[in-house]
Amino acid sequence: MVSASAENPGAGGNVVPALAGDPALGEPLVPRPWFALSVWHVSKNFPGTKALDDVSIDVTRGTIHCLLGANGSGKSSLIKILAGVYRADPGGTVTVESDTIDADRTSPEWARSSGLHFVHQDLAIFNSLSVAENLAIGRGFPVHALTKAIRWRALRRHARTVLQRFDVDVDPRRLVAELRPSGRTMVAIARALQDQSDASEGVLVLDEPTVSLPAAEVDILFDALKRYARAGQTIVFVTHRLDEVVRLADRVTVLRDGRVAATLEASEVTNEKLVELIVGRALDHDIAASSVLDGEDLVLEVSDLSAGSLRQVSFGLRRGEVLGVAGLVGSGRTTLLTTLFGVQPPVHGTVKLDGSPVSFSGVDQAMDAGLGFVPEDRSESAFVNMSLRENLSAAEVPKYWRGLRLRERAEAADARQSIVDFSIKAISERQPFATLSGGNQQKAIVARWLRRRPKLLLLDEPTQGVDVEARGEIYRLVRQAVASGSSVIVVTSDFEELARVSDRVVVLTRGRITGEVRGPDIDPSRLTELVLSAAPDSDESRLEASQP
Amino acid sequence: MTVEQTDESAQSAGSAQGQASAEGIQPDARSGMQSSLLYNVERFALPSLLILVLIFFSVWPKTGSLFASAANFQEVGSDYVYIGMLALASLLPLVCGEFDFSVGSNAGFTQIVAATAMARFHVPLPFAIMLAIAFGAAVGLGNGNTVSRVGVNSLIVTLGTSAILLGVVEWYTGSQSINIGISPSLVNFGSERTFGVPDMCYLLLGVALVVYYVLQHTPYGRYLSSVGSNPRAARLVGLQVDRLKLTAFVLAGALAGVAGVLLVAKNGSATPEAGSVTDTLQALAACYLGATSIRPGRFNVPGAMLAVYFIGFSVSGLAIAGVQSWVSQVFSGAALFIAVVVSTVIGRRRAGGA
Repeated sequence: MVSASAENPGAGGNVVPALAGDPALGEPLVPRPWFALSVWHVSKNFPGTKALDDVSIDVTRGTIHCLLGANGSGKSSLIKILAGVYRADPGGTVTVESDTIDADRTSPEWARSSGLHFVHQDLAIFNSLSVAENLAIGRGFPVHALTKAIRWRALRRHARTVLQRFDVDVDPRRLVAELRPSGRTMVAIARALQDQSDASEGVLVLDEPTVSLPAAEVDILFDALKRYARAGQTIVFVTHRLDEVVRLADRVTVLRDGRVAATLEASEVTNEKLVELIVGRALDHDIAASSVLDGEDLVLEVSDLSAGSLRQVSFGLRRGEVLGVAGLVGSGRTTLLTTLFGVQPPVHGTVKLDGSPVSFSGVDQAMDAGLGFVPEDRSESAFVNMSLRENLSAAEVPKYWRGLRLRERAEAADARQSIVDFSIKAISERQPFATLSGGNQQKAIVARWLRRRPKLLLLDEPTQGVDVEARGEIYRLVRQAVASGSSVIVVTSDFEELARVSDRVVVLTRGRITGEVRGPDIDPSRLTELVLSAAPDSDESRLEASQP
Repeated sequence: MTVEQTDESAQSAGSAQGQASAEGIQPDARSGMQSSLLYNVERFALPSLLILVLIFFSVWPKTGSLFASAANFQEVGSDYVYIGMLALASLLPLVCGEFDFSVGSNAGFTQIVAATAMARFHVPLPFAIMLAIAFGAAVGLGNGNTVSRVGVNSLIVTLGTSAILLGVVEWYTGSQSINIGISPSLVNFGSERTFGVPDMCYLLLGVALVVYYVLQHTPYGRYLSSVGSNPRAARLVGLQVDRLKLTAFVLAGALAGVAGVLLVAKNGSATPEAGSVTDTLQALAACYLGATSIRPGRFNVPGAMLAVYFIGFSVSGLAIAGVQSWVSQVFSGAALFIAVVVSTVIGRRRAGGA
């Protein structure tokens, strides 16, 4: 048990307002049925990083407790410790109901047996199976004693009871694929909680369940969550969307840099306050100036572009400029890049390249016009069973087609040159691509496009899963390309990185550009603030971005 | 440095693609040396096996006198031209990551087309050949369209096509062979030799060289391999994935048409039983066996041709030794099985281990 048991739970953090009428405070050794979940003095160090620093959180039974923080604030580490994926450093404890365990000894089995139920962002729901089958998976199907055949009627009966209990109005025989998105989330929740005999038992942990849900579906989900909480269900809701916290939370804990920045009651919660806590300083009240770029030297002019989740996006890009796009997953940031690259056609709006309107009906046309695109996921760019040489020249094969032959020798010479130019660590250009490290694979893929001297290079999370050294090198290469006249649009969730490489950053929230920062104003906490505080669903507050 | 980043790099270090150890030059170089040795052993395993088989059956007293004769070499040579042609046909879809299970039945179908054209409609030989190729290509067009436009799994589509073709052949011929009215020059081509080598072997060599050239020395061939390696990445470097797959199926169909003509040339007739799923299986087996050598891990023309004749000469040797015919079947099956297992294991070690 904790030695410093008499301490205030938030001693290590900044502020922890005492919970009103909390009789258990200061007596942590006594079983505290008040709290369904208590995290006490939990720390977690990774080599070189302090992910969690003396975090203590109490979650009251039957409430919705939001856990909020920017990327890297430690919320996912905390969830992973609760789920038993990580083990915390020795010293802290986790209590679920009256079951206390040292925080360095959590395990998935413990989490399950003590009543912690997780629903992650990817719901782990099987779309091609029925609702009833989904509920049974992982739990076991009811089978006939002798033949071991599934007792379908019993399965459906069980499913119907569970669905009724969670107010999910679907036929258990329907395929999950036919459900609406919120329905799928609810099936996942029902599956996680089906074995609780009583709603007040256990804790439901929802890890960013709304990332890929449209607004209307979020409403349906939230109504359901509030009903569950009223029935006594304890819910921990992890998010980085402020509007969700304001709408949903009974209480919210904000994490910053691995510490508890504060725990607030619903009545104290305001958007501004939350942003201050997340970012760690007072808000700048001057709104990001929307800038109008002059017509000179514009490589790219996008006006009123709508496609997929993008809504009337307009911006301009100068020659030799690096434009950062800050946005959360699901903000439409990838759609923006793929639409520009001709992967899918825009629904509406115009794109001008060098002053003349373009509409690409395919990637090849975009490439002819001088565009290049490094996708977010290397599985969409790497030819792993081909050689490094073939990967480097994948976007310019016709160049080597001379005199009715592919000039492999010229291709190999160019590949060797690229290995030097782009500091790719490889023994030879013949090396199978799969044997290169992730960082070097990514450098080669960036090189694939830079070799073409692109007019406009689109980078989607170019340093994801790449080591620190390669990260730096990739951006050095991008800088070089910019110096020789290329323009770049870069999307990344790492705002520190965005701040370092961008000349200008636009903020994309739920498909709209909601702000813009340039030059000296770009810093990570400012970007976090803008991304989190934008209120995208009301059109009045929408900031017009640069109008060419 | 944020926590999420730590997670990511930890994950990628664990994955096969992002081996953290490959960062430094040293371990990289060492693993490269190992794998290049392994690579060369693997490259020449199949040719060496073929030579071993030839030597073995030539020296073995039980088979030597019959096996090592010019007549036997000529017979095996011309017998396996047809399978070789089917292997070339199968190769194109395989390179772009798709199966064509209908090449054998397609050859059976196009032999009837060629023979009927000559026997019933008195079409001159060159046009009969062109008709056979055109019909074969049309079958390929159907396959390719269904696979690339509709997005159905190619194995299923071509299995269906295969069954339909077999049925159509049976219906049209009433299970009767077409023996009369076949152009004598075609039949002669099937049996004549130049410099002691069957003429059909020259044809196979010629077509093999063309397919090799197309796959190895043209952008089109590179594009097909790219699509086979990673279709999504291929699309993002500007390739028309659907169109490439479609053309691969059409070319496979056309080559199956050539194989159909070869059937008529070899047999001097068109029989409904010739051209079957078994032939397809043999051709596919040769392609897979061939993919373990010359350019290990990739479907390639020289490998496939070597594999065809490796199986051909082994089966012939076994037959001369007096083993029953089922042994030959088991042999070619086992050869494929072992080759694929070995190359998968080696391939995995090369990609993941080091």
